[in-house]
Amino acid sequence: MTTRRERGVTYALLTLFAVLSLTPVIGILSTAFGSQGSLDTGFSLPRDGLHWGNFADAWSRGHFGTYLGNSVLVTTAVVAATTVLAVLAAYAFGVMRFPGSTPLFYLFVIGLTLPQEALVVPLYFDLRYAGLTDTYAALILPQTAQSLAFGVFWMRTYFRGSAREVIEAARIDGANSWTTLWRVLVPMGRPAISTMVVITFMWTWNEFLMALVMISDEAHRTVPLGLAFFQGQHSSDASLLAAASVLIALPVVIVYVALQRRFIEGMLGGAVKE
Amino acid sequence: MGCPRRAARHRPARALPAVLTLGATLLAAGCVPGTDGSGAAGTGTGVATAVPDPAKAGKTTLTVWDQEIRGGTNGEITQLNREFEKKYPHVRIKRVARSFTDLKTTLKLAVSGNNPPDVIQANQGYPDMVSFVRAGLLTPLDNYAGIYDWNTRYPNTLLNLNRVSVDGTDFGRGRLYGISQTGEFVGLYYNKDVLRKAGLKPPRTWGEFTAGLARLKERGELPVQFGNLDKYPAIHTFGVLQDQYAAAATRDTVLGRGTGFDTAATKDAATALRDWMRRGYLPKGAGGLGYDDAAKMFASGDGAYLMTGTWLLADLKKTMGDKLGLMPPPPAKPGGAPVTTGGQGLAWSITSRSRHPEVAAAYLDFLTSAHASDVMTRHGVLPAVPGPAAARVAPDTVDGQMIDGWKRLSAADGLVPYLDYATPTFYDTLSAALQGVVSGRTSPEKLAATLQQDYGAFQRTQRRRHAQSAPAESR
Amino acid sequence: MKSTAPTRAYRRRAPGEPRAVGYLYILPALLVYAVFLLYPFGQSVWLSFVHWDGLTAATPAGFDNYRDLFGDPALRAPFAHALLLLVFYSALPVAIGLLLAAAMSRVRVHGMTFFRTVLFLPQVLALIVVAVAWRSILAPDGLLNDTLRAVGLGSLARPWLGDYTWALPAVGVIGTWVGTGLCMVLFLAGVQRIPRELYEAARMDGAGPVREFLAVTLPGLRPQIAVALTLTIIAGLRNFDLIYITTSGGPGNATSVPAYEVYHRAFETNQVGSAAAVGVALTVLIFALTVTVSRLVEGRRV
Repeated sequence: MTTRRERGVTYALLTLFAVLSLTPVIGILSTAFGSQGSLDTGFSLPRDGLHWGNFADAWSRGHFGTYLGNSVLVTTAVVAATTVLAVLAAYAFGVMRFPGSTPLFYLFVIGLTLPQEALVVPLYFDLRYAGLTDTYAALILPQTAQSLAFGVFWMRTYFRGSAREVIEAARIDGANSWTTLWRVLVPMGRPAISTMVVITFMWTWNEFLMALVMISDEAHRTVPLGLAFFQGQHSSDASLLAAASVLIALPVVIVYVALQRRFIEGMLGGAVKE
Repeated sequence: MGCPRRAARHRPARALPAVLTLGATLLAAGCVPGTDGSGAAGTGTGVATAVPDPAKAGKTTLTVWDQEIRGGTNGEITQLNREFEKKYPHVRIKRVARSFTDLKTTLKLAVSGNNPPDVIQANQGYPDMVSFVRAGLLTPLDNYAGIYDWNTRYPNTLLNLNRVSVDGTDFGRGRLYGISQTGEFVGLYYNKDVLRKAGLKPPRTWGEFTAGLARLKERGELPVQFGNLDKYPAIHTFGVLQDQYAAAATRDTVLGRGTGFDTAATKDAATALRDWMRRGYLPKGAGGLGYDDAAKMFASGDGAYLMTGTWLLADLKKTMGDKLGLMPPPPAKPGGAPVTTGGQGLAWSITSRSRHPEVAAAYLDFLTSAHASDVMTRHGVLPAVPGPAAARVAPDTVDGQMIDGWKRLSAADGLVPYLDYATPTFYDTLSAALQGVVSGRTSPEKLAATLQQDYGAFQRTQRRRHAQSAPAESR
Repeated sequence: MKSTAPTRAYRRRAPGEPRAVGYLYILPALLVYAVFLLYPFGQSVWLSFVHWDGLTAATPAGFDNYRDLFGDPALRAPFAHALLLLVFYSALPVAIGLLLAAAMSRVRVHGMTFFRTVLFLPQVLALIVVAVAWRSILAPDGLLNDTLRAVGLGSLARPWLGDYTWALPAVGVIGTWVGTGLCMVLFLAGVQRIPRELYEAARMDGAGPVREFLAVTLPGLRPQIAVALTLTIIAGLRNFDLIYITTSGGPGNATSVPAYEVYHRAFETNQVGSAAAVGVALTVLIFALTVTVSRLVEGRRV
């Protein structure tokens, strides 16, 4: 008896919170399909069919084509750079011993709690002086640095945990450190690496403050910025705004639904493994 | 978002080398580029002798940042840009249009960057235009004004609003740093149907207007639609109220020569605003309602009056059609001179590091020519200098009312500049204090005192600056 | 994951493996990291000791900017708000997560993957999108007010983001919405891993659900609670995106937060030194809080 009631309560609670989590999302979706220029200023249910045209409209009016291209470019570059650099460094931290390796590692760990807001101001003046503002480099380099904090931490955990026997075996076979890394450990570490990739992808794609400060040139703006300014221009056009929001969130959501285990694992630092 | 520092549970000894490394980095980080003052750009020469001819400039891209996103102004700017590009096929205009608040947030970053736009819309007054001039970011336009005859095209009152003194201290006199395309005044939009239903006619005096508000409230109608989430609408409403008490004195104050803000007029205006909120003349949720949302609700029939500027006419007309009427706030006495807050739209300026100042100047001239004025009229936008098309607009349409109101205000010199021009921080100070009045938290006395504190402090700074630069000026 | 002590004591370098090569491996990462993260932070610290408008020459300020953090109400307010928001961003989600975990400690759930995906979704959306969506919900005629009116609580409806008293809690609620999913997923996974025997033992001792929760669930979730607190605290203090879109610090100063103040002061009101000081103070605050959390919650593990 108790068990059934408990099960009922449990499912009820889970469903309640699932609904709460989803309500704003569903609200945005339903508004995105509503008719433009409707006098509702908040969420609404589409009264006269689904207006798919809103998405095309939001796309063109918000210049999201350009922004999307920029976001893809920046995100790809950051993910690639972070992955390579983090794997290299974490391999050394996790497997090799050299003086100062521990303090140097903790230096990276500090970056996990260092907020961007403390960096962005001098970074802007530095990059402007170097002539790099309004270029992709201004977005790629700082974000790589920030992602490296997580990347190095995460991959070092993996490397430290990788079986010593495998490494020893590779050495006995005459492999040097480079070959051991790329031929043996990396293929084995695909799950860990893919987690790092999706987390870095998400953070970089969703990055707003850095892009706001570093880029003033329309040609290099990324997608979150496009949404922010779109909101400023069309704040009373709820359906258009909702459609734009959906377009922005969609890439990350799609990747998330496909790979949600990786996301959750990465963000919760290996505390969740099922 | 961060990640768990599960490995960071280290003993103090381990932390020391890390801290030392960090410390060394910190010490090495001595210099931030620009802290030596090298960031301030030169003042630019703006020297030109002949009429600039963009045709001779070769392939040029003109980057323009503006905030004309509303239906009417967006339409006329788009059309004018197209015509300019057709006239000069080598010139391409790259336009970045953003909302007023977004422009305010991002313009400083853009203009002080390495690739600033060529043409920008700068808000007049101390917060924006004067601070740009102080930093040497704008080109003086006096030479072009002479070549293109802008000096005769505009009345002096309008030109002066776009002037900043040579040393960047004063607003309202000195060199010309921008010209405006549109005229603006804050007026009373009214819904003819709602008024008729309440048995009211458009008021001819201020007393009639306020009496009408009470009547509308009794009839269960919302008298004045209002949404202040974006912070700046209250500046306009308050300005109109204050102008009814002391227009000329307020203008002097904004321009730096008046009696300040701790005056009866300020307190009376704030009291009126508070009373209107209390009596329900303004909607209860005004503090959380967006500006555009309020306009939308007015257009759908919620509210008899909307007190805002001429920039909204085209959008409102699209939804309301013939139901819409516009008038300057009625004067105190019948047939008296109207007064209201207004002036001109944001000034179009040329950045000092623009690589194409000549083409930019030609573009500015094109935007403010008589032809442009006609294009504006056709799109329902009020030109600063109405042209022939404006004269042909039927006076009983809302466009005709707008142009007529503008002409009367200009003739009677009844335009008081926007209050946020007054000090570099006044936009923030005033909008925050007015939010307090709208919500009932701030008393009129407190508002007057807060405004005066900001204004007084700035006046003292100004006096100090004048004293310092006076010897230089006499050279 | 920590490797156990005995293994480390016996780990030897393979013959011929030079130690210096380790430096080569970490060099690229360290270079990028130092130049684009550590160095700018150092510069922030340096900037916090000057008065600078970003254009003309900077003047030394000593500790003025830091003194203002305590003396100037316009700077005290953001930090006070930040701490209050932490209740919404961190304490509340953790509490709700624990509640759910307690309710579920005895039950095996089907379709866990589905629930997990849905509950975690708010974490994945860009904060910008969350802000835009919630700004719409909290509009005077948005979803929240409409729902209140529909159930007869219309008198509670108000302009949430424009109300002096309610704007900050409203922003807080958004943070709760974002953070609760994370905590729930974390604790649910953690709870599934607490050995059944502990619960059996507690039940045999006659413990009711409350005692079970306190004696078994809570201690068993210690590491997860630490992780949840750390993550949500950091997220709660870095909410620039949210404030920028929803309230810009308004009405008045009611929702100003340090993250927003840094941008506002550096790039809008030309007070770069002050902005840097706020940034540094924010870092110190985050650091202090995370260290406290780890000491308090996982203290015994050290």
